[in-house]
Amino acid sequence: MYRLSFLCSFLEVKGLSSLGRFIIRRTLSIIPMVLLIVAINFFIIHLAPGNPAQLISGLEQPSPEVIEALEEQYGLNQPLIVQLGLYYRNIFQGNLGYSFIYGTSVNGLIFERAGATILLTVTAAIIAFIIGTLIAVWVGRRKTKVLDSIFSVLAYIFYAMPSFWLALVLILTFSSTFKLFPTSGMFNVRESYEGFAKIGDVLYHLALPCATLALIQIPVFFRVTRSSIDQVHQDEYITTFTAIGISRKKIFKKYVLKNAILPTITIFGLTLGYAISGAALVEIVFAWPGMGRLMLDAVFRRDYNLLLGIYFVMAVCICLAILITDIVYALVDPRIRY
Amino acid sequence: MTAENRISLSRHENKLTKSVKMYLRDIKGVIGLFILLVFIVMAIFAPVIAPYSPDTMTDDVLQSPSLNHLFGTDHLGRDLFSRVIFGTRISLSVGFVAAGLSAIIGVFIGSFSGYYGGATDDIISKVIDTFLMIPAFFLILIIVSIFGSNIMYIMLVIGLTTWPRNARLMRAQALSIKEKTFITVARSTGESNMRILFGHVIPNGIFPVIANSALQMGGAILTEASLSFIGLGDPNLTSWGKLIYQGRPYMTYAPWTIVIPGIFVVLAVLAFSFIGDGLQFTFNPKNKGEK
Amino acid sequence: MPLLQMKNVDINYRMKKNEVKAVRDFTLDINERDIVGIIGESGSGKSTLAHGLMRILPRNGYMKASEIKLNNKDILNISDEEFRELRWIEMSIVFQKAMSALSPVHKIFDQMYDTILAHKPQVSRNEAEEKLSKLLEIVNLPKKTLNMYPHELSGGMMQRVMISLGLIFNPKLVILDEVTTALDVITQGQLLDEIKRLVNEFKLTVMMITHDVGVVNEVCTKIAILYAGELLEYGNVKDIIFEPFNPYTQALVESHPDLNPEGSTLKGIPGILPDLINPPESCIFYDRCKYRKDICKNGKPELQDYKGRKVKCFRVGELHG
Repeated sequence: MYRLSFLCSFLEVKGLSSLGRFIIRRTLSIIPMVLLIVAINFFIIHLAPGNPAQLISGLEQPSPEVIEALEEQYGLNQPLIVQLGLYYRNIFQGNLGYSFIYGTSVNGLIFERAGATILLTVTAAIIAFIIGTLIAVWVGRRKTKVLDSIFSVLAYIFYAMPSFWLALVLILTFSSTFKLFPTSGMFNVRESYEGFAKIGDVLYHLALPCATLALIQIPVFFRVTRSSIDQVHQDEYITTFTAIGISRKKIFKKYVLKNAILPTITIFGLTLGYAISGAALVEIVFAWPGMGRLMLDAVFRRDYNLLLGIYFVMAVCICLAILITDIVYALVDPRIRY
Repeated sequence: MTAENRISLSRHENKLTKSVKMYLRDIKGVIGLFILLVFIVMAIFAPVIAPYSPDTMTDDVLQSPSLNHLFGTDHLGRDLFSRVIFGTRISLSVGFVAAGLSAIIGVFIGSFSGYYGGATDDIISKVIDTFLMIPAFFLILIIVSIFGSNIMYIMLVIGLTTWPRNARLMRAQALSIKEKTFITVARSTGESNMRILFGHVIPNGIFPVIANSALQMGGAILTEASLSFIGLGDPNLTSWGKLIYQGRPYMTYAPWTIVIPGIFVVLAVLAFSFIGDGLQFTFNPKNKGEK
Repeated sequence: MPLLQMKNVDINYRMKKNEVKAVRDFTLDINERDIVGIIGESGSGKSTLAHGLMRILPRNGYMKASEIKLNNKDILNISDEEFRELRWIEMSIVFQKAMSALSPVHKIFDQMYDTILAHKPQVSRNEAEEKLSKLLEIVNLPKKTLNMYPHELSGGMMQRVMISLGLIFNPKLVILDEVTTALDVITQGQLLDEIKRLVNEFKLTVMMITHDVGVVNEVCTKIAILYAGELLEYGNVKDIIFEPFNPYTQALVESHPDLNPEGSTLKGIPGILPDLINPPESCIFYDRCKYRKDICKNGKPELQDYKGRKVKCFRVGELHG
């Protein structure tokens, strides 16, 4: 008896460590991607017309002190390869540089805004996942041609919509006409709510931008789940269960669903990753104080260091989203061996 | 032409008519093609169709749609219908040129990588995978904002950032085609690798890239519209996205200025995704024969 | 008293413009404790027949018959719900592709327990576990198999799981649909021995669908030869393999290496399967038959009793008199 329990605990530790190894392996595999993104940033700076120092500073006429500081930090007088090395070093020390236009560090600027973006995109992705999957399951269950056609055409239409345009149309409908929701911002600036009132206020402001993003992502989940359900219906174990005499309802609820929804988890991660960059336009329309809004400002004020910093952070967010999805998927699907 | 050649040619034609028939069976594909044809006619005959010059300003500002001005007028009194018609030219050409460029790059890199295999392939496919994960829109935005928003740049940058998906499709095709008997035969008759690549591998494996290109045309139109919307469109040209950008300040009292151009973007993207899915359906070996 | 009676069974598949008549006018009685090998090439309709019996035809398939009785009970004209109740209790089926015959993301125990619950909802988890581990033991699988996922087992092991699944309610009739086809020769041999043992232990009546005459020869007592959807010959295995009456059976037996007396050469059967959308009005094997005469062209031969078996051939009396 003692020996048995010992064996069990040993197996468990071994299982954990193999999962740990899997996670480490997946994490290592995103490193080349991060390196590539940094390299792209670097080459953009050097391929751009004009003086790199001027570009990084974002100033028309940077003062000699600024140029000197930049040359020092980025080694602008040294060979290109050394510069690339220095650029990597800066980034991996977590230093995205200094925004001369805002007069503060890029890290700080981004950090301030990241929360709003994450709140918006994660909420939207979760809502889209739930609604899209539910519709697909509902339609897949009924197998009525009309219903199926209606939803698949709707999916095509919403998928074809530019996010910013849908945002404007929602503002026209729900804010201008029905005056149901606010058109911009994250808080009511005239009031200073505390506690639950504050949360309610944020949710109230979140409604339209979140709806915009969700409406565009629902078709993705709908289509993936829908075709996944169709595919599972053709799988041979469904025939087995029918032959056994397990009720249709149970076959669908227990076996079709689990087999069909697993692949959508992967899509969830990807969509979440891209939503972070896709949200930018929606943030701009709703003046949502996230990274997208910051990015637009950076474009117009020609604050390239800030722009590149945002790009880097977003790319890393996408990597992380994909990484987390991979790990969750490996945990949920017994077929993945790590 | 030898008899053998003629036979293979007629067989090829047969395959083509079969594919066309197959495509026409899918109602979505037919609708998509129809919308696209209408747009192409609009783009080519814009000066004939448009009732007014798109740039003539009048005192009739922000008029709502009427018989005189089908889509109303904008804040400078220009006829929106005419502007939308002329906008078709810009939006469609962005779609065609950008996706075309993306297809060409993707086909070259993908077929090369898949056909030669080995270490080259390993590296190239890693690069493809990595590029696939990078958010393309942001890269495009940064490059355009640094290098300038000339329409040529915009098309070029979209093409240069969206090729990895085509490359991946082409690579998979090349990998499977190079194992086929006719490639072995061609090799044993001493045909050069380049001839095999361009004469056999690419022509036989390009279909998925064509289908994907249709989808990417829609994507390019969306990207251009988004750039225009944040003010990074070509300052000298008026695309649909630009029209939305220009209409936005007046949207509460003149909603047509943004709603109508947006509908055109949706229709174009919809048409391209119908066509792309239709093509995918046609070329999917699973669908041969039944249904 | 036959256990399974089938009379004039037709199974068709609806296509876009026409119908494929996959099984035509199939009449056969299977007696209790018989082990019937249903043999035919691919496209002969043998699996279709099994799926039709189990009511698991694909959506475009449908079955007509004048009578199908199991254990003297009509199973043709009963509702789907009535049929559902007797599934697996009265008859079960084991499929060819064992690896994909169970859900890949559920444990084997869950799927076997659901099988029990489908017919005996009052059985508790513990009772089920006890019953199932015994059952697995019978097919020589360890108890821990219950807690595994399908992909963790080999093809042979999965096939044993599927067989034990089919035996859960100890049904009278078990249909084995090409159960050994996907396995390697050694595993195949082991599994056939296992099947022989189980047939005795569980007193089973078996319908064994296969394209391999060797398998039939090893396991079965009766053999039914199916060609392009029609039954051509039925009788004792030993008799038929020793002296096939129908020319197609003869060709089939001759083409099997293990059953050939030394010295005779292997022969394939020249020609292709007839069109099943518009089946010929003649004898179905006419095009490929080396004994064909003009009489074979006019109409279809009846399935007649001849020397203790059933044969469908115009010239049987002439050739084997």
